[in-house]
Amino acid sequence: MRIEFKFRPIRPVLTGLGALAGLATMVLFGCGESGVTSQSDDAAAATTTQQEQPAGEGATSDEGMAVSNRTTTLKKIFHAAPSPMETASLIQRSGAKFHGEDLNATDKLKDYTTSDRQAISLGVYGADLSYATIFEENSAALEYLRTVKALAESLGLSNVISDDVMKRASDNRNDRAALINIVSDTFYDLNEQLKSNGMEDLAGLVVASGWVEGIYLATRHMSEAPEELKARIAEQKLTLDDVLRLCRSYEQTSALTNMLEALAPIEAAYDGVTMTQGAAAANQDAAVIVIGGGPTFAADDAALNAIAAAVEKVRNGLVQVQ
Amino acid sequence: MLIGGVFALLTTNTAQAQCRSFTKRNCMTQLDGYMQNDNYNSAILIPGDEAELMLTFLAGQDYRLVVCSHPILGDIQFKILDASGAQLYDSEQASEERDYVDFQVQTTQQLLVQIAVPPSDAAILHEGCVTVLVGSK
Repeated sequence: MRIEFKFRPIRPVLTGLGALAGLATMVLFGCGESGVTSQSDDAAAATTTQQEQPAGEGATSDEGMAVSNRTTTLKKIFHAAPSPMETASLIQRSGAKFHGEDLNATDKLKDYTTSDRQAISLGVYGADLSYATIFEENSAALEYLRTVKALAESLGLSNVISDDVMKRASDNRNDRAALINIVSDTFYDLNEQLKSNGMEDLAGLVVASGWVEGIYLATRHMSEAPEELKARIAEQKLTLDDVLRLCRSYEQTSALTNMLEALAPIEAAYDGVTMTQGAAAANQDAAVIVIGGGPTFAADDAALNAIAAAVEKVRNGLVQVQ
Repeated sequence: MLIGGVFALLTTNTAQAQCRSFTKRNCMTQLDGYMQNDNYNSAILIPGDEAELMLTFLAGQDYRLVVCSHPILGDIQFKILDASGAQLYDSEQASEERDYVDFQVQTTQQLLVQIAVPPSDAAILHEGCVTVLVGSK
């Protein structure tokens, strides 16, 4: 399936500035969440992307397709992690019960005053919002959505959660699927806005703290945790790896460095989970491809309790009012 | 020099803004029925470029992976590999030509998505937006 898209013309590029623009493009691509590696050190061997252009001519065609100023091909490295909504979904499908008392109290919001703290809180409250939404605790979900809206506004992202979004959420408070979509769209937009506005470090904090809160909610009641939930907690060893790689891919601010240091005890606790690599296999005969095989995980109760304890300590540090 | 730098920055920002707009209008709808995973992963690529995404896919979930690209870039090839590098899926060998694949993961594992923009012999090459979306249900 191909999409018809009108790529609006980029403003004309003066010929003499073209190479600089290309260089800047490459440099900027290298910032933030995704690394870029040039595939060729030899510009002559790499893709030639621009011919002579008359001075003052635009770098775009009238169809709106931008002409690249770049002279070498590159490899873009994306980083991502499963969302708190996915973690909440795992908790719910395992048969675990909802525990509203475990959520971070919304009245702490006013005490998170710096952008770093607000980003961390955005991740925490976002995970709480996802958890409440998945469990159809609609009143709590709306309360946490209001809290997330306030935090987004504090971070200068007031356009992400508009009054219209709030109204749609309120109107659909009894429609779980609709609320899930609203929350998912909101956090996608927040992630996009943070990255697009040069706040990749804050985007990293949101992802990391959201993951911590999600796993905190999963590990609060280990004594009554279904076996399936225990297995899913052990498998989060891989998700933690995603989160760490994502955070390390950003330019390291003191807040990100602190976050990575804060996560170290959880990483150490996950050493108690044994992962045995296995080859994956894809069955493509079915209507939907089924991917099986892959690694297996083993963790005893002591290891899981150590993870729960480490997560609790880290999470309480993240939500602590200073 | 300063003016050039500022101009380059504006040009890049404009392109990135168009990429965001492209993603919102043309890519997000392909995840209808799926929860997107909150991660905005878009880039402006040219022919011959490659991209990679490694991500953990959770047991028991149904996924849709969308590799949404501007038509100017041609048919983007994407593959899914397991953690050891073994290929599990290749869009060029799919029975239908489409820019997404649906799959179910039985066991939690990290999978690598490799994306390749086809090279071009054209004298003037265009750049276009490429977005990777992952949805689950």
